[in-house]
Amino acid sequence: MMERAAVNIKKGLMNGLSITLLMVKVIVPCYIIIEIIKYFGIIGIISEFFKPFMRFFGLPGEAALAIIAGYTINLYAAIAVLSPLNLSSKDITIVALILGISHSLSVETPVTQKTGVNGWVLLVLRISLSLFAGAGLNLIWKLF
Amino acid sequence: MEIILAALKNSALLTAQLLLIILPLTISYEFIKHRQEGIAKRRFKFFGISANGLIPLMTGIIIGLTYGAGIIIHSIRSSNMDKKEAFLILLFLSICHAIIEDTLIFVVIGANGIILIVARFLLAFVFTYIAYRWLFFKKPL
Repeated sequence: MMERAAVNIKKGLMNGLSITLLMVKVIVPCYIIIEIIKYFGIIGIISEFFKPFMRFFGLPGEAALAIIAGYTINLYAAIAVLSPLNLSSKDITIVALILGISHSLSVETPVTQKTGVNGWVLLVLRISLSLFAGAGLNLIWKLF
Repeated sequence: MEIILAALKNSALLTAQLLLIILPLTISYEFIKHRQEGIAKRRFKFFGISANGLIPLMTGIIIGLTYGAGIIIHSIRSSNMDKKEAFLILLFLSICHAIIEDTLIFVVIGANGIILIVARFLLAFVFTYIAYRWLFFKKPL
């Protein structure tokens, strides 16, 4: 019993550390890129570009960067992008809901496909559902 | 140069915070994994998901798709469940998976965790139910 627990703890620690390594590789470059584009004022241009679309979610334009990072790379990338943007708690919660439903699509779509279910159907469903949920949460939030 | 140094420092800080969340979770996952393999099979019907589906469902909700992939793929394939049921499970899990980890890492940067959890469970139930009614109406059980 104790041995089992020791093995579990060791395995869990190793898994956690390998995730952390993966995380650092994503978080550090993303964080630096965002700080640099903030410094040179590029973030304003990107923000303006996405503004009309992000309005549906009650989010500032630059939040689109976090959503794109989360969809294509993973949640850690999204967090590294979100953190320097200094958004409000409401904005972060909406982005988190969108990304919670739909993230790391490049990794998770093949996993779902291996179970025998059509991965493309789920992919389209996940993206549309996540955007729908984000817009919905924004509307509900406005009511209260 | 200063901004890069500041970014390095802040990203290290963020990583450390996430590490504090992730380590306890990955360790508990190992314990849960062995528990789940021994879940007794009870009669269970839930939106078209049977007892066989309960193990991949619970695994996905708690552990997530990336780390639970092994258990999820194995238990769906080995139980010979039909395609519709597998689809319902994956639909539910698409919306609602890795509920602890995903929520906590966003709480670190300021999100409201309760809203996130409630919204994801609610959406998962609603859409699984819609898909269940729609998929099974044509061919009743």
